This record gives sequence, structure tokens and C-alpha cells, in this order.
Amino acid sequence: MDDVMKDRVEQLADFIMKWCLWQFHSRAWDRERQNEEILTKTMQLLCDEPVNLSTPSDRCYWVDAVYLANGFKKTCPWLGIMDKKDIKLLMQGLKERIDYLTINGSLNQELTNPIY
Amino acid sequence: MPYHTFKCSECIPERAMHAVIKGSGEDLTSCLPLGYLNTIPGTISERGCAFCGAKHVIGSPMKDVIHLSHGPVGCTYDTWHTKRYISDNDNFQLKYTAATDMKEKHVVFGAEKMLKQNIIDCFKAFPHIKRMSIYQTCASALIGDDINAVAKKVMEEMPDVDIFVCNAPGFGGPSQSGGHHKINIAWIDQKVGTFEPEIKSKYVINYVGDYNIQGDAEIMIDFFQRMGIQVLSTFTGNCTYDDLRGMHRAHLNVLECARSSEYICNELRKRYGIPRLDIDGFGFEPLSASLMKVAMFFGLEKEAQAIIDEETARWRPELNWYAKRLKGKKICLWPGGSKLWHWAHVIEEEMGVKVVSVYSKFGHQGDFEKGVARCSEGALAIDDPNELEGLEAMEMLQPDCVLTGVRPGEVSKKMRVPYLNIHAYDNGPYKGFEGWVRLARDIYNAIYSPIHQLSGLDISKDEIPTDKGFMTRQMISDVNIIEDGTTPIEERPYTGEWDIVTKLRGKKYPKLESQQQLGMV
Repeated sequence: MDDVMKDRVEQLADFIMKWCLWQFHSRAWDRERQNEEILTKTMQLLCDEPVNLSTPSDRCYWVDAVYLANGFKKTCPWLGIMDKKDIKLLMQGLKERIDYLTINGSLNQELTNPIY
Repeated sequence: MPYHTFKCSECIPERAMHAVIKGSGEDLTSCLPLGYLNTIPGTISERGCAFCGAKHVIGSPMKDVIHLSHGPVGCTYDTWHTKRYISDNDNFQLKYTAATDMKEKHVVFGAEKMLKQNIIDCFKAFPHIKRMSIYQTCASALIGDDINAVAKKVMEEMPDVDIFVCNAPGFGGPSQSGGHHKINIAWIDQKVGTFEPEIKSKYVINYVGDYNIQGDAEIMIDFFQRMGIQVLSTFTGNCTYDDLRGMHRAHLNVLECARSSEYICNELRKRYGIPRLDIDGFGFEPLSASLMKVAMFFGLEKEAQAIIDEETARWRPELNWYAKRLKGKKICLWPGGSKLWHWAHVIEEEMGVKVVSVYSKFGHQGDFEKGVARCSEGALAIDDPNELEGLEAMEMLQPDCVLTGVRPGEVSKKMRVPYLNIHAYDNGPYKGFEGWVRLARDIYNAIYSPIHQLSGLDISKDEIPTDKGFMTRQMISDVNIIEDGTTPIEERPYTGEWDIVTKLRGKKYPKLESQQQLGMV
């Protein structure tokens, strides 16, 4: 990942950290699911791909994804001139970064507690 | 690691990892205090106990319930004079509380017989109330009274009553948070699914983690109902016992205070497949986004946008009036749990005040993740601070106002730093668009109060000016604003009413009623 892409990933991660709550569910398995579902749907929205809304859970992930996609477009004008292939790469990088911040590199000692 | 060591705690090495300063380039993988650990002996923590968290935070806001503590009478101290979780049934749950008044003889010989008689006496004293919540305390837990068995026996003898038992003794966790956890799990284990609620809309939610402090929950429910959404239950502010038994029928759990009630949302998702949507009910932008998210789940975007537009147009000029006068003021944001992250960024974005410190007595590391992520560089985050650490932080940071509870607030007053009560509130509700303006108004009033001109004078030695009066708030706050003349004419101080909650009770909601007429299931 080049420096421009790294910087862009960081801008998107900062937006999530400041304006979202979904990435901080209580346990590691919750966070894995939240990050995967919401960031995948966000990528699909940004790339004009169909989004699965077949279950209540899907709709719930989708509303956070819509907020995120709109927020990204508003705060990161460079997103509008990226092609879809690059957006997918960007979102993959973002997913890895959010996984690191909230799960793999997290200092939160409660993430692995087996019960709620 | 950016850990901060207080001078006063150098003699307590175990405190070393409980405070951090967010430095340049720091993220959560390097900057996070410990949290939700047993209190360190010698620190003189200011935490509450697990019983307090269970009963006085989550259980007692249920409004049509006799709340009975099975223990010494002192355990049930916190009622109408310290708590402000109001209700629309004349505040029954605030005005009345009960304790079995355990004494030494009960500790020696057991208190189950006495408990049973107390339960019956309570129902006789309040014949219109058929629901009860019994809270175990340290004393009754240690002697092993089987409260569940006694409650079951009474329910067999009195079939028209229903009793919930919460076994969260004071020692049941490091802090009040242990009690939040226990009562969440006890409620879903014992009561959810035992009552079938009436479904009146295609759009049904539980609003979880709002205790209706000075009407907060009622403000939010008004928004939801204006959209046509049925709020099946509020966990637990101003809610009935039976509505909370029917939580399993909602389509969505809208979660506000994840600290106190994420457990029940997680369990409702696991057991009943109801999704959990975390929201921010404070601040114009986060609240607007939250209302829109809930609306989008049901396809009600137009309804949400109409509310957002109307409320923003009405209240934004008043928020801006205060924001202009609060810009650059420093605050310590020292709440209980969730306001640490609900407010850390938005109070700075929308009111212009700088959050120089966040703390929580009972927050978990997950709360500090949210708070540290949202606050600005340089902020000091403290887990479970003691009084001396609070004093040292105030001396170091020189805040203009401290937003906290009564106990640390009174300490800050002695330091001549104004404080705002953000647990029970000063002039809430603070949720909603108007509520956010009320908070700005209260911060403004605290910071610019004329009393500060007098309170710093020592009549035993200072010269007291007798030839002039003291300056009013606006004379102080408007010095620069008048000079540069930049205040748009529509900006104005708060113009709302003193009581903005009572008028919501009995209000008609055409969109919700039209759902009922369609016989929606």
C-alpha cells in the first residue's frame, strides 16, 4: 500500500473512530462480524453494487453502512474521482486497519471474555 | 505508552496504568487505560456498589413497581432526593421505596419469613400495584436467603402479582457496573418472553439504556412516535414492568447507554434475533444521524427528515448563541459511563468547548476506547479516579467547568471551579435538540455566573468594592461579541419553557394512530 493509500485509509478510519459506535461492540467475535458486515456493505454502496437486505440484521448493518458511505463522500472529496477497483482496495485496507485498531491490536482485555 | 502518573498516586504503583494522555499520533493500540478492575486498596475510590448499579440505576426507573431491598434500611437510601428518573404516573417509583430493614437477629436466624411478610405488606399498602422487584443486598446474600423461593411462594399465594428478583449484592462486582450486568441478565432470564404485548405498528422498537433522567427518554420517544414507530419498551426509564416483559417482540433494539445495557441487547440478538443499533441521542448532528438510521431501518426517511429539519430550524440559532460564547472554554467531562463517549467529540464540535479530560468511575475499557477515540489530542483519560487525582487533574488542566456528579462536583466547587450535574442533571432534559440547547445554557450559566466575582474575595482581608455592582453573565460573555458585531440577528439565548416534558404526555401521534387503525401486526 503506497503512502497516498495509507493516508486515505487513515482519514476513513478517523471518521469511523470519531462518529461511529458500531465498531466497539463488546467482544472480539462481535467486532469481527460488525466490521465485516458494515464495511462490506459500505464498499458495495460506494461501488454501486447490490446490497443484501434480506434479513433484519442485514438492514441494521446497512443503515450504518449508508451513514458511513455518505460521511466518507462528504468528508473525503477524493473518493469521488477514484475508480471502483481502487475503492475496493481502499476499503480492504480500511477493514484491515479497523480490525487492527479494534480487535487484533486492541488493548481491551474484555474482548475475549466468553460470555456477555 | 502514554500513561500518566499522578503525583498523589506515586505511592500506589497499581494506579500506573489507569490514566493516559492522548498524545500526537496515539491510537487505541497504544493509548488506553485499564478499566473495570477491582478497586485498589488505599486509593479511596469513589465508586458505587453492584447493588446500587442494579437497583438505583436500572431497576428503580420501572414505574409501576414496588421496589423492595432485602437488607438494612440504609441500602435503599437513594430515592426522590438523589434520583431524577421521572415517570408519568406521578413518580410512584421515586416517591416510594421499601426495605425489609434487616437487623442482627435476621442475620443470625435468617430473614426469609420476614421477607415474605414484607412482600405481602407492601402489596397491601399499595393495592393498585401488582408488580414488585426485590433486590438482594450484601447482608441477605451472605446469609443465603433464597429470595427466588420466597417470591415464587408469594406468587403462588397471590396469583395476580408478579415478582422479579435481582441477585446483585453490593460486592457482586468491582463497581456499580457489576450490578448493571447482573440485572440485565436476570431480567432476560426471568421475565422477557413472559408477556405478549399489543403490537400497534409495523415499526416496533425497544429503546434501551435510557433511564428518563428529567425526561430524556420521553423526548426521544416523542421523536420515534412522530415517525409512526411504536416504542414497545424503554429499558428502563418511565417503563412498565409488563412492557419490559414483552421486549422479545420488537423488530429493533435501539441502544443508547451501551455501558449499562448492552448485555440485554446482546442477549436479545442471540436468543430472539433482534438486531442492535447503537445510537447517540445527544448533539444535533449525532442525534440527526441516529434518528435517520432508525428511520432507514423501517423505510421512514421522509418522516425523520421532517423532524430533523423542523427541530434544527427551531433550535440551531439558540445553540449557536451559546456556542459563540463558550468557544475555547475548557471542560472536564467526568460522567458515569456513556456520556464520556456520547459527548467527547460533539460538545467540542457543536458548543466549541474543549474537552481536556474524560473519566469514568465504572466504565470498562470499551468505554474508554470510544472516549479516547473521540476526544482531542492532549486529553487526560482516567479510570476510577480518587478524589486527590481529581484535584490534581483540575490544578493541572485549569478547566472552566467540570461536568460530573454531585460528589466530585462539590469538590470542584471548593476549588472555585463551577460544575454541572450531568448524572441527575441541573435543568434537563439534555437529550433532543432542545435538550442540547438546555445543556449549553446550563454550561454558560455555570461558567459566567456572577457569583465567581464575589466568591474569590476574602472579606477578612480583601477590599470589597462598594461603589459598583457586579457584572452580569452577558456583560462578561459578550465583550468580544459586541465589539466585532458578528452575531446574526436570529441567534438568541434559550427561549423554551421550564417544563418541556409534561406536555408530551397525552400528545396525539397521527402517524402512529393510523398504523393502529390499519390493524397492523
